[in-house]
Amino acid sequence: MDAAKRSIVRKYGGNPALLSIGTTKTVKELSAGEPSINLLAKVISLNSRELEQDGKTKEIYYGILGDDTGTVPFTAWEVRGLNIQVGDVIRLQNAYTKEFRGEVQVNFGNRATVTVEGGTLLEVASPQEAPLTRRNLDELQEGMRNVRITARVLDIERREVEVRGEPKVVFSGTLADATGKVQFSAWHDFGLEPGEVIEVEGGYVSAWRGLPQLTFDERSRLERGKETALPPLEELDRARRVWIEELVQKGGGVDVQVRGIVVEVREGSGLIHRCPECRRVVQKGACRIHGEVKGETDLRTKAVIDDGSGALTAIFNRELTETLLGKSMDEAIAEAKEAMDSEVIRDALSDLLVARPVQAQGNVTSDDYGLMMIARSVTVLEVDVQAEARALLEELGD
Amino acid sequence: MQRELAWRIFAGEYTDATLEHSSGEERAPNYVITPLGAKVNRLFLVGVITDVEDVGGNGGDGQPMWRVRLTDPTGTFQVYAGQYQPEAAAMLSQVKPPAFAAVMGKARTYSPEDGVIYTSVRPEMVKLVDASLRDYWILETAQEMRKRLEALKEAEAMNPATVDGLVALGYRQGLSEGIVLALQHYGKVDLDRYQSMLHDALRYLLPEFQDGVSAPAAAEKKKKPDTEEERLVLEIVETLDRDGKGASWDEIVDAAGKKGLSKEQLEEITNRLLDDGSLYEPILGKIRRI
Ligand SMILES: [Zn+2]
Repeated sequence: MDAAKRSIVRKYGGNPALLSIGTTKTVKELSAGEPSINLLAKVISLNSRELEQDGKTKEIYYGILGDDTGTVPFTAWEVRGLNIQVGDVIRLQNAYTKEFRGEVQVNFGNRATVTVEGGTLLEVASPQEAPLTRRNLDELQEGMRNVRITARVLDIERREVEVRGEPKVVFSGTLADATGKVQFSAWHDFGLEPGEVIEVEGGYVSAWRGLPQLTFDERSRLERGKETALPPLEELDRARRVWIEELVQKGGGVDVQVRGIVVEVREGSGLIHRCPECRRVVQKGACRIHGEVKGETDLRTKAVIDDGSGALTAIFNRELTETLLGKSMDEAIAEAKEAMDSEVIRDALSDLLVARPVQAQGNVTSDDYGLMMIARSVTVLEVDVQAEARALLEELGD
Repeated sequence: MQRELAWRIFAGEYTDATLEHSSGEERAPNYVITPLGAKVNRLFLVGVITDVEDVGGNGGDGQPMWRVRLTDPTGTFQVYAGQYQPEAAAMLSQVKPPAFAAVMGKARTYSPEDGVIYTSVRPEMVKLVDASLRDYWILETAQEMRKRLEALKEAEAMNPATVDGLVALGYRQGLSEGIVLALQHYGKVDLDRYQSMLHDALRYLLPEFQDGVSAPAAAEKKKKPDTEEERLVLEIVETLDRDGKGASWDEIVDAAGKKGLSKEQLEEITNRLLDDGSLYEPILGKIRRI
């Protein structure tokens, strides 16, 4: 092994002496639940994402790897020192596999070692040869390549990132058409502005826990589309109501709206305490990582919303929970003190929400426990039952 | 693991169900399959609690078992909560009927003899609510029932109906599986009966259809009740209920047989009397007059 390679290995936290453990496999040979595998593969797509884990913000990478036998989604849980980019052939050692929504997924964290095999050529099974296919945004699914879409840019943000020591600029935001929304990353400055209609040819789709993301760069073709091709921005920005069964099928959705009944306000709702170091929820005065700490009070709701077609857990943050309760967190703290019981706020939330119809909007992701919405808005609905009943009877031909 | 959704089903459809299903895998959940193909593990219902009674002690362990009758415009749910549902049981022990209540619970069946199946609900959550939430539930349940009726009609046209075929038409997996199982078990379903159940439930929400029709009346079947036979059954039940704990079903069947009622007739009449609240089951297999 040459010196450069060893340095990469060390930087990523692996031990060069352990490079030979695990079984080397091709993508096609991978099955779910393997604790230690090695893989030589090309990075076909790469995205970064900040996620909140136990109240702490953490950056991860995810995307698609491929070799001459097939492609597989991956997640890198430790990004420090991980200098990879699209097109790199990487040797991945001591990674593990999991099943996610019926498919194998490669995962690696700080036990793994990743080396970039400079100069290695690797054919990827049917790369970019997928025929160019026009898609609606609600059809986009992880692993699709060479898609052609027409969409309006809802919002866009310029971010500077460092890729292998070099500064790069990525433009990310949200696209919409009449069928739905996706997040996007453009690794090239196309001079995009919010509100523009664009046609993109040659993008590929990855997904983070069911949230689809379209990625394109200078190799993709991007043109301005007809302004009249799509409804106006305000209309597209409005969230669409979807049935939870659709979200179950797709595994998630970008900025969707659901309407259903709250059937449960789960444990961990109401007043909670977070570790001042890492923001994880403190249980019995102790943080899982930092031991005994003086927790900082926070307020949130974990509500199970069920619309008769499926169920999801929606998280309402402090601000939304305060609005629902009609009181500030300080007032809630005072009330709990008075009652000498911190559960009174969860009880109040149950009284308020359980059996009530609500409408909530936000991004929906999925994990082993099902669907989760991080709500950006929620309202308790006042439904005109008589009007809707009349409309339904009319539809039934009565 | 995806959480089991809470089905919205009218009592009229749920109490018609006579099929329990499990995939057979270890620890696989149990489902009640209704005639319209709902594949129910969990359900959410809102209605009027008309009767709460402690029917415990019969098991010999002396623990209370709360038996609750909860009615909607189409019929009555039987809800049972015991020591393994402490929160629901505590809540139900305090209820003063009549009261509007929301219940989320698990679908259960009881089979006192071969070929006879009663459906009930084991509550996970009980909450007292108001009429507006009950009305909203009726609306939502009607919307769901309509989806099932449409899916069932499409399935009947498919011949043979397959799960994949229904999923391809856009119906979700659980409903598609339920419909195929329902068609196998129930054969041709009386769609008219459920169409009119759906219409009646929606009309129940609208003042223009109210002229003197109250909730239990709306629940009555189209067929006019035969009062003579009903009186006979009530009499039999009263006579056989010697200890005040209810008459045993087997004895009722015998006695009714001697009076010229077939078992099928008896079952139909008894169900009607259970629905309109003249009879109830203190424990499964026993029947009492109210
Ligand atoms: Zn901590």
